[in-house]
Amino acid sequence: MIPFLDLLEAYREFIPDFPDLVDHLKRPLPVYFRLNTLKIGLQEAKSFLFTEGVEFKETVIPELVKVLHHDHSRPLISYHLGYIYPQALSSCLPVLALDPQPGETVLDLCAAPGGKATFMAQKMLDEGFIVANDRKRGRITSLLSNIKRLGITNTLVTQARGEHISLPYSFDKILVDAPCSGQGRYRVDPVTGAVKHVVRGKTNLPAIQKALIKRAFDMLTPGGTLVYSTCTLNVEENEEVVHFLLDKRRAYLTKFEPPVESSPGITVFKDKRYDRQLESARRFYPHKIDSVGFFVAKIVKPGTEKDTS
Amino acid sequence: MPRLLNQEQRRILLRFLWERFKIPEEGLAPYDMFAFSRQAFLFKRQSSPIKWPEGAFVRCGLPFLRNVAGFLKPTTVFIQRFGHFAQKNVMELSEEDVCKLCSDGELILKRLPTSVELPGYVIIKLEGHLIGAGLLLEENRLVCRFPKAMRQAFAKLTLQ
Repeated sequence: MIPFLDLLEAYREFIPDFPDLVDHLKRPLPVYFRLNTLKIGLQEAKSFLFTEGVEFKETVIPELVKVLHHDHSRPLISYHLGYIYPQALSSCLPVLALDPQPGETVLDLCAAPGGKATFMAQKMLDEGFIVANDRKRGRITSLLSNIKRLGITNTLVTQARGEHISLPYSFDKILVDAPCSGQGRYRVDPVTGAVKHVVRGKTNLPAIQKALIKRAFDMLTPGGTLVYSTCTLNVEENEEVVHFLLDKRRAYLTKFEPPVESSPGITVFKDKRYDRQLESARRFYPHKIDSVGFFVAKIVKPGTEKDTS
Repeated sequence: MPRLLNQEQRRILLRFLWERFKIPEEGLAPYDMFAFSRQAFLFKRQSSPIKWPEGAFVRCGLPFLRNVAGFLKPTTVFIQRFGHFAQKNVMELSEEDVCKLCSDGELILKRLPTSVELPGYVIIKLEGHLIGAGLLLEENRLVCRFPKAMRQAFAKLTLQ
């Protein structure tokens, strides 16, 4: 049992309406379903869910519905037919930032269980080429299962440590949804006040994240786009990692206009100052978007092919 | 490593899909076919030949046919994604029949639609939705060939 405020108190200074966050975290995480338009039309999928007794409402993301109620004792046939993928709203945001297009070559470096990789395939209309990588065999199983279930044909799955991966391709777009401390998923037990979903471990996450972002950036084609995301609020795992890349490589941040409320990245925290460009990164807080907290930074590699500078 | 099927091997698989389900070759024209571990995979054709990453490769594309006891079986995921191309050996079942098929593992059909030939695999639909494959045997015996988790789900409920 970890007292909630001990964990998140450090972020009080930059999280807007902090008391609202505390209240919000006492409620269970809302459930969202992404509708798989590779197999079924949006309207038809909604009708199907309706016939299954799922109450839902539409969201700002056309492919995503927020589930208001469904009977958990009844298996969802729509799931087995590959019509839906349960996915947090904020988990869709890195894909919207990356904006993969049909025909592009795309890498998802930490892909399992495949929510973002399969959403990318959907956005690409199953055209082009996706490499979906993950380091753990157990997680690869769920990744493969989801790719199959959603009927995707343009994806190659690899198993390698992202920091050291060697692939015979360069990529137009790369997503690094890095392993993180998961603070954005925290929920507070309304009775005891203890924090749930706390990830414990001795792993030096920022070191891994820095190695991942650097390796990913080096695999981009000139003019390519890299999106770095985590589901944590921790500045050391977010802004500091992107700052590291900006320091080590000729990279720059570009703006991403998300469809939900967001806050700019942090440029000053405690005794540290980060690159001013980090204001272009976006922070998504659970109480503002009614989903998991997220961090998303969109980074461009200068070059002649697709340089947007 | 997966092996890219040559034209002759590709033709054999396409012929099976045409003869059994009347799935036109054009429906699968945008895809390369690979063989890997007793399964054939459909992989969206790339502008240049695919290079396999050394040491890291796991799988590519969508499994679409499997060699089962020397016979070709279409996978559930293939039927769900590409079954709409099929023009024969497609059966619409009632909710009650799908439920019984899944709970008992097989179903004796009172009569067969004219476009269905036995013995062999058939594509099963429920209320117009492509579900998966069944194996139709003599005496109108339909054997469920859905994945276990899907069978369990369908056995538990029918659509409202």
